[in-house]
Amino acid sequence: MLKLDLIKDVLAAALSTGGDFAELFVEDTLRTSLTMVNGQVEEGISGRDHGVGIRIFRGLTSVYGYTNDSSRGGLLAAARQAAAAIAGVSGRLDLQLNQVPTGNSHPIRIMPHTVETHKKVDLMRRAHKAASAYDDLVTQVRVGFADEEQNVLVANSEGLVAEDQRVRTRFSVQAVASKNGEKQTGVSSPGRHMGFELFDSVVDVEAQAREAARSAVTMVNADLCPSGKMPVVIANEFGGVIFHEACGHGLEATSVAKGHSVFSDKLGQKIASDVVTAIDDGTIGNAWGSANIDDEGTPTRRNVLIEKGILKGYMVDKLNGRRMNMDRTGSARRQSYKFAPTSRMTNTYIANGTSTPEKIIASTEYGLYARYMGGGSVNPATGDFNFAVREGYLIKDGRIDKPVRGGTLIGRGSEVLLKIDMVGNDLDFGQGMCGSVSGSIPADVGQPCIRVSSITVGGRKEAE
Amino acid sequence: MEFDVFVHKLFQEGLAAGLTDMEVYQQTNGEFEVKVFEQELDSYTVSQSGGLSFRGKYAGKFGYAYTEKLDEAAIQFLVENAVANAKVVDSDDVAEIFAGSSTYPSLKPSGGIRAAASDKIAFAKELEATAKSLDKRVRTVDYCLYGDQSTEVRLVNTKGLDLSHSDDIAFAYVSVVVSEGEETKTASRFQVSPRFDQFDGIRLAKAAVAEAISLLGAKSVPSRTYPVILRHDAAADLLQTFSSVFSAEAAQKGLSLLAERVGEAIAGSNVTIVDDPLLAQGPSSVPFDAEGVATRTKRVVEAGVLTTLLHNLKTAAKEGVESTGNGVKGSYKGVVKVAPSNFYVQPGTLDLEQLVQQMHSGLVIIDLQGLHSGANAVSGDFSLAAKGYLVEAGKIVSPVEQITLAGNFYQMLKQIVAVGSDLKFGLPSAAGTYGAPSVLVEGLAVSGD
Repeated sequence: MLKLDLIKDVLAAALSTGGDFAELFVEDTLRTSLTMVNGQVEEGISGRDHGVGIRIFRGLTSVYGYTNDSSRGGLLAAARQAAAAIAGVSGRLDLQLNQVPTGNSHPIRIMPHTVETHKKVDLMRRAHKAASAYDDLVTQVRVGFADEEQNVLVANSEGLVAEDQRVRTRFSVQAVASKNGEKQTGVSSPGRHMGFELFDSVVDVEAQAREAARSAVTMVNADLCPSGKMPVVIANEFGGVIFHEACGHGLEATSVAKGHSVFSDKLGQKIASDVVTAIDDGTIGNAWGSANIDDEGTPTRRNVLIEKGILKGYMVDKLNGRRMNMDRTGSARRQSYKFAPTSRMTNTYIANGTSTPEKIIASTEYGLYARYMGGGSVNPATGDFNFAVREGYLIKDGRIDKPVRGGTLIGRGSEVLLKIDMVGNDLDFGQGMCGSVSGSIPADVGQPCIRVSSITVGGRKEAE
Repeated sequence: MEFDVFVHKLFQEGLAAGLTDMEVYQQTNGEFEVKVFEQELDSYTVSQSGGLSFRGKYAGKFGYAYTEKLDEAAIQFLVENAVANAKVVDSDDVAEIFAGSSTYPSLKPSGGIRAAASDKIAFAKELEATAKSLDKRVRTVDYCLYGDQSTEVRLVNTKGLDLSHSDDIAFAYVSVVVSEGEETKTASRFQVSPRFDQFDGIRLAKAAVAEAISLLGAKSVPSRTYPVILRHDAAADLLQTFSSVFSAEAAQKGLSLLAERVGEAIAGSNVTIVDDPLLAQGPSSVPFDAEGVATRTKRVVEAGVLTTLLHNLKTAAKEGVESTGNGVKGSYKGVVKVAPSNFYVQPGTLDLEQLVQQMHSGLVIIDLQGLHSGANAVSGDFSLAAKGYLVEAGKIVSPVEQITLAGNFYQMLKQIVAVGSDLKFGLPSAAGTYGAPSVLVEGLAVSGD
């Protein structure tokens, strides 16, 4: 994407005031997104993001600059402007760049830009039809299609030059069901690190659409969720958001390095119940949160975070690695060249246990079954989290009883991890966009069905 | 390529490709931000960037494309993609590219940021040091930053409109972590202002530390319905979360229960909600919207009565009304949507202490979490993690946490008993800046122990 000579000159300019490490991140991304509301394509937008980020370290100080101007003059100016923030004297610079070919573990069969727009629209129409036809209560269907081809180059003053291409496609269906003035929404939004072949092998658009409609219709017919403390069974796939929020963010070096996380200084200690093993794996073939290299150019890898309840490792980027005296784990990510990278999750999941989901329900006398979770958030310093239950049911006498809506789960990550008392054997993944200091990035969450012995459930109805 | 040359060529190529009306919306940003940690410069960010959004009408439909690179290839990219995207659009665009309003309001210039990087770094260091020194229970200052941004917008179209606007904004933010025994609490404060000399780091640090300390010993409360005061920041967050209900776009798509309710009472007579794009020093103040329509101040809810929804050209044309000047682009990457500018609940007369006295017993909620997931803007339902204080006999008696607050936004608007005098605005977003005074609500469901 850039000539080696130019990269060398820019890195040299970045280090001209005494920085001890410099990095260049070049990005060129093509995107398309289409929105269909009630069967009509409302808008289509295509775009090209193009820019360069320059990062300089001096000890633990990090300077970041970015620009859209990738001409020689523009890059040198941006490098000098960033370098001006470091008031030192340049040492001797003997830069040898070494371009390493990046292997590709995530092959793409059909590049998005080669597919005519109307073929994408045809899929959206099919989804619209299937969702609207599901039930008379479905009053609105919104279908979204988004794809991107992100080409990146990372080069640094340690001599690294690496390139990667991330191709992602996501299809989303949102169905609104209405009854007596009440409206409820069901969603289904699968995505992969894939091109248009997503629709040959992974996503059945009609099935996704019917699932979104089913969820909306179920919830509009549902009673209000009761409140109080109770056992909660959380289904697989996107249920993994509980771990992502309640624990994953606290294991990112971003919050661990400065001692802000409740999990700082706890390596080797028991932080979860024995049935919990958790992993962050950026190498899973064509998964939503995967890439060949991270945004610092380090190959992604499989990081065991928790093994049988014991904290085994953090997710570490270069800068925080300096503070923690730990190696990088291939976890540095950023939304775009407009963000300095930091440690983030990729595809994070709780590993399979031994119970069947049926057995978990059957052994719960009374509680809440969270079939679909919504999003949530966490305060890394205290571990306080909250997240919404998108589709919930009461469990009575070991059986799934009536559906309930409007529930929220709140708690503290460190406490909930110790209260996971059953882990199922049906691991699967759900896709999300994770927002944090280095922007909004695609991330998979995952888990088998699990049970937490007690969580505070917030709802609009008082406990029975 | 130079902007004017680029646009001239772009319109020429577009015309040749069959685009009838075209518009370019360009945004350029200069950003500066510093974070300090333990009196060292932790991060320093400086940037110049921008992008250009293009929309064109092809056979009666709009197609959109954007680029961050203004080269020859970009012209072809924009034209080809705008045409391709217009071709798949079904919905008829009743709106046209806008020829301009008869007059535009003038905004008072903010005065600019004008301070050296070294002064800004010194300010952030002092903010951190102050926060750390105020109480020995302050374990760490987990975020301490100062940032500013200059933005320029230019809108040029084939109907002869050529508008530009620039503004500056600066912000400071501090978040503290306090510990006592095994207990950890956090609190944060921010300030937003177009002028560096208006920043008061000591006040920010004091408020953040006092709040974090005040939360030590917080406990849950029994589940039941409580009278609740939403402090100004919690009230503003809730208003922001549900602001789409005031959008004609949401209403026309069946996503707002305020559809066809203009002229009706939707809130108590003590509630007035204002959209003020001309607010002095307002972070979202702007003289024209993303379609070039002149902006104006309006009371969206006046004494409880819904007077208008917010419109852009498209939603207005559908209903045969005038645009309210609320056509908004989140950035050059987006299409024109509807959003408020500086949007706030008009303050009443009682300060927070008087509201607490009036409530007598109940909860003061100072923080709501999970707004992007635990609130349903379509139904108005919310169920959110909350913290605050327990009030007994007209006084705050103890801190409260690990509770959820649940209710319905539409119902809540009718259950506001009193509106406070302490109007404050939240952090600005690309889709408006939201403000509220503290409000006393008759009853909300709390789930705790």
